[in-house]
Amino acid sequence: MEYPQAVPLKYGINPEVCLKLTKDKCGTCEEVCPANAIDYTQTQETITLDAGAIIFSPGFKPFDPSKFDNYQYVNYPNVITSMEFERILSASGPTMGHVTTFPKLPAKPKKKKDKLLAKKRKSPKRIAWFQCVGSRDMNKCDNPYCSSVCCMYAVKEAVIAKEHAGGDLDCSIFFMDMRTPGKEFEKYYQNAKDKHGINFIRSKVHSVTEDLDTHDLQIRYVDELGQIVTEVYDMIVLSVGLEITPETKELADKLGIEMTANGFCKTDSFEPVATSRDGIYVSGVFNNPKDIPESVLDASAAASAAGDALSEVRDTMTKQVATIPETNVVGERPNIGVFICDCGSNIKGVVDCAHVTEYAKSLPYVTFADENMYACSQDAQDKMVEQIKEKKLNRIVLAACTPKTHEPLFQETLKNAGLNKYLFEMTNIRNHNSWVHKNNPELATQKAKDLVRMAVAKAALAEPLKEEKIDVNASVMVVGGGLAGLTAAKSLATQGYDTHIIEKKDQLGGEALKLFKTAQGEDVGEKVAELIGAIEANEKITVHTDTTLEKVEGFVGNFKSLLKTGDKTCELEHGVAVLATGAKSSEPTEYGFGQDDRIITALGLDKRLKENDTQLDAINSAVFIQCVGSRETDRPYCSRVCCTHSVDNAILLKTRKPSMDVFILYRDIRTYGERELLYKEARELGVIFIRYEVDKKPVVVIEKDKIKISLNDHVLNQPVTLETDLLTLAAAIVPRKDEKLANFFKVPLNDEGFFIEKHAKLGPAEFATAGVFVAGAGHYPKPVNEAITQGRAAASRAATLLSKKDNLFTSGTIANVNVEKCSTCGVCISICPYSAPRFITEGRFEGKADINAVLCKGCGLCVASCRSGALHLRGFDTNQIFSQIFALGEVV
Amino acid sequence: MADNDTKIVSFLCNWCSYGAADLAGVSRMEYPADIRVIRIPCTGRMSPKFILSAFREGADAVWVSG
Amino acid sequence: MGNLLEHMGIERDRLHFSWISSAEATKFVDVVKEISEKVRALGPNKKLVKDYN
Repeated sequence: MEYPQAVPLKYGINPEVCLKLTKDKCGTCEEVCPANAIDYTQTQETITLDAGAIIFSPGFKPFDPSKFDNYQYVNYPNVITSMEFERILSASGPTMGHVTTFPKLPAKPKKKKDKLLAKKRKSPKRIAWFQCVGSRDMNKCDNPYCSSVCCMYAVKEAVIAKEHAGGDLDCSIFFMDMRTPGKEFEKYYQNAKDKHGINFIRSKVHSVTEDLDTHDLQIRYVDELGQIVTEVYDMIVLSVGLEITPETKELADKLGIEMTANGFCKTDSFEPVATSRDGIYVSGVFNNPKDIPESVLDASAAASAAGDALSEVRDTMTKQVATIPETNVVGERPNIGVFICDCGSNIKGVVDCAHVTEYAKSLPYVTFADENMYACSQDAQDKMVEQIKEKKLNRIVLAACTPKTHEPLFQETLKNAGLNKYLFEMTNIRNHNSWVHKNNPELATQKAKDLVRMAVAKAALAEPLKEEKIDVNASVMVVGGGLAGLTAAKSLATQGYDTHIIEKKDQLGGEALKLFKTAQGEDVGEKVAELIGAIEANEKITVHTDTTLEKVEGFVGNFKSLLKTGDKTCELEHGVAVLATGAKSSEPTEYGFGQDDRIITALGLDKRLKENDTQLDAINSAVFIQCVGSRETDRPYCSRVCCTHSVDNAILLKTRKPSMDVFILYRDIRTYGERELLYKEARELGVIFIRYEVDKKPVVVIEKDKIKISLNDHVLNQPVTLETDLLTLAAAIVPRKDEKLANFFKVPLNDEGFFIEKHAKLGPAEFATAGVFVAGAGHYPKPVNEAITQGRAAASRAATLLSKKDNLFTSGTIANVNVEKCSTCGVCISICPYSAPRFITEGRFEGKADINAVLCKGCGLCVASCRSGALHLRGFDTNQIFSQIFALGEVV
Repeated sequence: MADNDTKIVSFLCNWCSYGAADLAGVSRMEYPADIRVIRIPCTGRMSPKFILSAFREGADAVWVSG
Repeated sequence: MGNLLEHMGIERDRLHFSWISSAEATKFVDVVKEISEKVRALGPNKKLVKDYN
């Protein structure tokens, strides 16, 4: 097993070192494996699959810094890679999360030399991170691109190390540009600096030497004032970049897909997950270096692209599972069957399972107890079904691992035996017991008995629960007709769902209409027109321009929205909604914007480029100022797109007229991924980059024939004044901050007004509210290709829900109301975060509370708040929890 | 007090602390065997009655964790 | 709640609340250890316990 999160979490034999396979000796594993899972005869098999589409996600490999002689990774024991440091920080890592020096030595070294070194182990007082190792470097390696993720992970590692070690650990990050353009990343960086006291040093360290005795590391670098500084650190972490392996490149070649010079997949900004070969889609780092959320978006987008292509044959190869009729157990005396799982030796090695099984037989209502070696194995499951039927068991208790992963599996077993799946109780004697008390078998056995007794008491009170079928209206409402919204709509319509686009303005296209070219040089206007053409030609799509949303009612599968077009209103019923309301450029309030025609925003320059304004050729000098309104106290985020946008436009100007002087005044250049190549190209073309500090911003003076900009030059450390004919401001991207819309769908906005997605890493295209999805710049500023990826991802998530429309059920473990007891106080209605309870408005029980089974998440907040005892949480009812407490109190 | 006498009735949120307890197991960490876990869907499910009742049943301590 | 219990003679250290995310196994273990230590120091709880005899 390479790592503990491996899927499937099973061991494999390494055929290169296995004695049985290489020399036909040993064979011990076969003898000791209680499950007889070892089979030495298995060999490589060739399997042929017929597939309609391929999604290629080969990933990356961390850069190997061995070849960098100046950092001495191979020879110095205290120079490690960021990946190694990541493992050290992990609680399940080699040192249980404690950072110590000499981390590359084994925990208990055997070699004499290692033993001597291990004696010098200490908790480091100073750790340095070196950025851009194997990235943005054509000198020592051939990776000119930015790896996109290293700045952020280095900041994170430094913060965690410092949090873990307490106050006296000194962490320094040596960097060229601090690139934290992801959502919430800039705030994290500023906090690391201001609150955690992490040092950020803008310098590239040129050499490292080691103290022969202590193995401390001396580094030399040139600081921002040009002084040579020598410092000593206990440990150095090399922030290694991401690389595509030769194997991946070879496979990509075999698949016949085009790659960039750096081995990443070549994709179009408007089809960001499609490779050059029809039917093959791509996701993850192979599709350019990216962080987790972007990888997850890529994955969903690739699924949507493949889904579009295969929409005609959807569900043609599905097999139906036969359902077994459910036995009615209501009113029957509980007949509890207890199953104790040994989990091989995982539980049995510590807990006396046979004893616990015998004990279980003595508990009230238990009529059967059995011990299984692996309860989750197929044969054990089949046996369990037989035993349930034979002994007429009507409640099942399983003492094994965690219900969080295994409850659904066993509930399926119950269903196969004709039992309602909620007549099941699982108690965790592995994760919570045998694994954590392995040195105390006696106590662990006692604890297992207690846990089984509690579970039996709870199970005795279990009732069969019903899952209500959710009716899903298979149509979609997309709010916002920009790139992300249009992309989502097109994909969903292609997959056969009726789709409505709601656009406030009189035309589709959104902010993209104002853009000239993408970072890859595609003409945005042309491509957007193509997309709009496809949308208008699609019979499944209805476009509502000049339309606003007035009211939204309902919940997943059953939304009712009131649309207003001019004076007319109409009601739209839809099952899901995609919010793609986008963002816009802010109006700068500094650098003389609005006082002179020669001072424009980035979009202003795009407009002139689009119109092919010949006046641009008359200009002798152009200046760009970055971070205008971004990364400031009142707008503490990075607008992500502006660095690339300005660099790209600088290149366009410089190519138009090579004699033009072009300057970019910046704080950090954030051309992440292969956008870095544009930055490189701009410098080669002679664009001059001057860095400024946020507290020493450039000063703009407007004169009749020239605009004068003065600032401190970071290289010369002297004030300079630039004269220019055109000043372009990289204005911050601001969200629409549509609180009304957010309220309609009960979705949250962050402090700046961007939508907050379900999960920052794993749920980036959906909301916590079921059936509502997010795409585009309303989520966070993003360039064309990323907006389209997210549009596709939202479509994919929505299609996942819509495609299940015939077998979508509520959970059984939800709240319900005993109307007889309800006092109509309304506390449950005001307390529920999901708006599930409401008053019944008509009939016999008018005024009493009722729970909407679809909206209820089963948290139990209302149940605890009900003063009349009218609310019950099925599956976790008050009497069930009490029974567990009582069972614990019983003197045995 | 002997090792095996202490009983800490622990109400753990299914999504948070219960998961942390699972992970502690996966990571093979060790801790005292005093806790008896009752899985609840969310700490919002907690009621003072459960706490009082646990003490009444002889718990030496009650721990509620979200 | 703590006040009420104290009023009934149950020490504050017998009731604990914490917030641990599902990724914080180390924190989980630390909290268990901390509570366990405090409770062992207090000895068995005798107040409020139902008398079975």
